[in-house]
Amino acid sequence: MTRRSIEIGMAVSAATFLISVPWLIPALTDNFWVSVITEILIWSLFAASANLLFGYVGLLSFGQALYFGFGMYGVALGIDHLGLSFWPAFGLGIVSAIAMALVSGVFAVRLSWHYFAIITVVFSLIFYFLAVSMKPLTGGDDGINFSLPPVFRFGGSIWSLTDPTFQYFFVLAVVSLCFFLMYRVINSPLGKGFLAIRDNDLRASLIGLNVYVLRLIAFVMAGFLAGVSGALFAFFGRYASASYMFYQVSGEAVVWTIVGGAGTMFGPLVGTTLFIVIREIVSSHWEHHSLIVGLLAILAVIFAPKGIVGLWNGWMTRLGERDAASAPPRLTLQAEP
Amino acid sequence: MAKKLSRRSFLECALAGGAAAGTANLTIMRDAFAQASGPIVIGHHCDLTGAISSWGFWHDKAAKAAVDLINQGGGIAGRKLELATEDTESNPASGARKLRNLIQRTNAEFIVGSVHSGVMLSSIPIATELKTIYFSTGEATEATGSKGTRFSFRTGTDTYSIAAASLPWCVESFGKVWTIIYADYAWGQSTAQESKVYIERAGGKVLNAIPVPLDAKDFVPYLAQISADTEVLLPAFIGSLSVAFYTQAKSMGLDKKMKMYSSSASIEAIAPDDIQGAAEGVYFFENFPRQLKAKDDGFHKQFNKLVGIDDVDAREVGGQRVMDKSHGWQAWEDIFALKQAIEASGYKTRKDVEGVIQALEGMQMTNSLAHPQGDKIIRKQDHVGIIDCYISRVENGKLEVKKRIPKEELAQNMPLRHNLSEMPV
Repeated sequence: MTRRSIEIGMAVSAATFLISVPWLIPALTDNFWVSVITEILIWSLFAASANLLFGYVGLLSFGQALYFGFGMYGVALGIDHLGLSFWPAFGLGIVSAIAMALVSGVFAVRLSWHYFAIITVVFSLIFYFLAVSMKPLTGGDDGINFSLPPVFRFGGSIWSLTDPTFQYFFVLAVVSLCFFLMYRVINSPLGKGFLAIRDNDLRASLIGLNVYVLRLIAFVMAGFLAGVSGALFAFFGRYASASYMFYQVSGEAVVWTIVGGAGTMFGPLVGTTLFIVIREIVSSHWEHHSLIVGLLAILAVIFAPKGIVGLWNGWMTRLGERDAASAPPRLTLQAEP
Repeated sequence: MAKKLSRRSFLECALAGGAAAGTANLTIMRDAFAQASGPIVIGHHCDLTGAISSWGFWHDKAAKAAVDLINQGGGIAGRKLELATEDTESNPASGARKLRNLIQRTNAEFIVGSVHSGVMLSSIPIATELKTIYFSTGEATEATGSKGTRFSFRTGTDTYSIAAASLPWCVESFGKVWTIIYADYAWGQSTAQESKVYIERAGGKVLNAIPVPLDAKDFVPYLAQISADTEVLLPAFIGSLSVAFYTQAKSMGLDKKMKMYSSSASIEAIAPDDIQGAAEGVYFFENFPRQLKAKDDGFHKQFNKLVGIDDVDAREVGGQRVMDKSHGWQAWEDIFALKQAIEASGYKTRKDVEGVIQALEGMQMTNSLAHPQGDKIIRKQDHVGIIDCYISRVENGKLEVKKRIPKEELAQNMPLRHNLSEMPV
């Protein structure tokens, strides 16, 4: 079996699975797992925001929960306090997260390494405590719950996230679109600039790249991804709470990214899937399931520093090299010079 | 290069999908709807770990004891009762997930809910959407108020009813000049807000409401803000923060300068004896007196025995844990309330849930082993428990009841703010 055939097989299987989830899962088990897979998609987008900064720009952020929280609160406040309908509330959540990322990014991206990590935690904590103490606005740690407005109305028919199948496909579409956008950016000249900064920011600046501006762009983009995931999670849970803005939530995204594969497009999705499925299976039987998370993170760092996807890519590269070595020499109609 | 990256990303996508497929539980589970002849499943959304686990331990114990008792008596409408318990981890995110788990995976038809305000508020929209009755056991008034639905109920008290029941008498008996000092998060803020309204309505005055951050270790800067003119201090803290507050307030001699009155939550799962007199002389709201002698009947005594607590401190028999008695009884009584409503409505399957809701709305419960806290009613319009309440004082390390507030007085003091009974099912 060649590398290409494995890749095609995996891709077709994954696409078929993702498209058939709302019918396949209830036929095999219970509806609960459709919700779990929906949640995995949302959290993997959140992890992708940490991955964009850490895996592609070399900035380790423990503050992505702040933008996740702004996305959530934009939606919840938009619906509950301002009476907005679905799309304006969704937009408010995303714009709030982007604005917050821009404001905090202006200060944060001047720093790097542990100083950067610390300032992201500090920003996260400041707004976490503000959100906790501003109960009339945010609901504090009790949070705000709200009733879902419909997503679309066509004549007499209403499309709402209260329909689990529609909710799943809506989340799948938004998350897929965000991953596609991220893929396009990473493979654009802008993305190459990110990678140059990640590998050596001094050299990047010497070849004329504006390191500060590029980092700020990446930071705001990561805020956008976290904001979209927060807004989706608010819709999914019909709820927003200050507790989601705590830096521990950011830490989970970092762990999912590292175990899945930092600097790979779908590493966060793999890491998130792994941990959430483990949590769902184990947590009903053993309350200390988070110990497994710690153990897997340690094992990944020691034995698979590029994460699960990095490990897989390594195998595939070796397989590709083997394919190339065993392939017969290419025939040409033209004589060799 | 671009082609290579495209292929890899395609592969990565495939890997992720494969991982999701491979890890999904492929076991065929039971039917989505309970069978009319099979067991009835009640889910317990219980805070077994996390910040409020010292309370959750007792809710778990009380619910299990109630289910055992019901099954010994023939179950509900002749059907066996099963209890499915999920740990909320005292965390709204986990709680919401575990609720879906209870309803969609374990097929729980009714839920006895969390005592953690954030958890129950995050759960109510989900329970409502999945058309499942959810009994809150915590104090966030929103659960049966502004954020309540036709599916949200409670048999106990919330910050609104606690203020309504106790503060008219407290203002009259303790003094008119008050200061509130509270933990700066949702429950503390809600307690401060509701209390201020009722203190002023009773002719009192609140000089200051002092928020204290949750991570405070040293209370001195906050205690120093309490005016010397204060006659009554209302602290609102829970757990270790509460112990720290009473200890430092006592060491500063505040207990000699002013009276102190607080909610039961401030002393739940704590025996006054265990904190070296720090709460001596402080008045506390209770809705199920810790001492048997304050509501001295066989039902109360039997409840204590079955849950495994003593009749004085509500301490675990043979252990050191203390029950959160003014909250934990709800995990017991809510199950019996559901039994009464299910039997009254002729409930068979989930599609009959509206009948159970209608039975619960305005349902009267009689003082009995099923309802050892006493006679009560779930008010039809706002789904709130209207119950007898008590004000107790710590004397010689024990909570001694000083005042009983009958449920009729509570109902009179607590005007309707929301009508949930007109909401659609």
